[in-house]
Amino acid sequence: MTELSRARIRGLMGEVMANQGKVLPDDDAAELREIGFRSLDFSELALRVEDETEEELNFDAPGLRRIATVGDVLDFLAELQRQ
Amino acid sequence: MSLDTAHPAGALPAGADNRVVAAGGVRSWRELPELTLPAPAVVLAHSARYALAAARHHAAYGTELLITTAGRVDPAMRDELRDTGFTLVEADGPAEVAAPTRTRRAEAGRLWLLTSGTTGRPKRVGHTLESLTTVRGRQPDRTWLCPYTPGTYAWWQVVTLSLTQPGQHLVVVEPEQLDDWPALAAAHGVDAVSGTPTFWRRALHRDPDTLARVPLRQLTLGGEPVDQAILDRLRQVFPSARVSWIYASSEVGAAVVVHDGRAGFPVEWLDRAAPDRPTLGVRDGELVVTSPYHGAGLTGPVRTGDRVEVVGDRVLITGRLDTDEINVGGSKVSAGRVRDVLTAHPRVAWARVTARRAPLLGHLVVAEVVAHGSPSPRPDPPGAPDEAALVRWCADRLPDYAVPRRIRLLPEIPVKETLKSDV
Repeated sequence: MTELSRARIRGLMGEVMANQGKVLPDDDAAELREIGFRSLDFSELALRVEDETEEELNFDAPGLRRIATVGDVLDFLAELQRQ
Repeated sequence: MSLDTAHPAGALPAGADNRVVAAGGVRSWRELPELTLPAPAVVLAHSARYALAAARHHAAYGTELLITTAGRVDPAMRDELRDTGFTLVEADGPAEVAAPTRTRRAEAGRLWLLTSGTTGRPKRVGHTLESLTTVRGRQPDRTWLCPYTPGTYAWWQVVTLSLTQPGQHLVVVEPEQLDDWPALAAAHGVDAVSGTPTFWRRALHRDPDTLARVPLRQLTLGGEPVDQAILDRLRQVFPSARVSWIYASSEVGAAVVVHDGRAGFPVEWLDRAAPDRPTLGVRDGELVVTSPYHGAGLTGPVRTGDRVEVVGDRVLITGRLDTDEINVGGSKVSAGRVRDVLTAHPRVAWARVTARRAPLLGHLVVAEVVAHGSPSPRPDPPGAPDEAALVRWCADRLPDYAVPRRIRLLPEIPVKETLKSDV
């Protein structure tokens, strides 16, 4: 399995935002609610990670309870790849 | 092999002198090769010419037959057919025969069709030449192109028309000619063509100029959901031709024929009973057909497995029930409706929309798209829309959960032997 770096995941997150006509801020502390990053976007980001790693990801809503910022998303997906 | 003469032998149908073009040769039905066939027989036709010869044989002798291609009959199906009394005959080349494992009396006049097998293994459906002949009124003289796989319901529709009506000539397309059929059609004076939406999209995509030079007066679509975009594009290329779409299947026969150039059929056709005509209904979002042209053994309302939606004054057939509905985090999406939005994009030649498993929401909508432009190894010819542009196009027309989240550009429209993309 190819493990994606945090920077690469950030790049993919930027692509998800760009497809929605939005811009991903540089600040990892940016609130997801503020930038309009929703569950549909989170699922799409997971698919993009899957396409690059050729590995299916599995997680559900309870695992995301404490995810509120851009940094939380990147940490979560980086960690998920190592499990 | 013996000649089955249980049926009054040798009487050829009314269209026997119609012109038949197959494998580059021009002849009439009467002049096709004479076959000697056991009964009941499965004819595995390697060429269109021999499939037609088998159909003519049935018309003359009533031999119990199933005509198909070798590729549609896997080893398990071969065993099953032999166990039910059929002799398997390779109709051209060396006459290789697989004998039945049990014998039975042949059923005179019986024709068998295999379903497309979209939702599983193909099933055998019983018909007769009579039940497959759905065009009965006198038609204007036409030269029809038949691109369908031998033995399918759509193939029989064109074949029975030419066999039974004088003035209905036939030009058949061999598989290797499929990509260049407009040149073949133009060379032989074809003015009527029946094909799936995928077949028409490929022709428009590959070489629209050559297609436009075929002097078509009748265009027919069927076998897959027919959307407004493909009807409009064909109307642009052939402004004075009649453009029709047909809903038909091996099980229920031809149930809907629409000539007004619009997708779907009028909502007032629902639950309208008329003698000798199919009755159309909708039950739980599924098209239900009660038809006098059912296959043998089917009676009463038949659930078609096709999903329908009533939109305004039309009933739209959006796709197969088991694949059309996509559940995105509890919100239901019709793949067919999303496909129609994509194919309405002026730079999109073809689209396939499916569900993809995704964390958190269960599934997301994803798509494959072919952009307009000459077929090339590049899926993104000059002017092709990129993924972001297509997502924005869909976002302007669909709820957010229905917007495809991954869109892959393909270089060429995929097609199967059935001329479908299995959308």
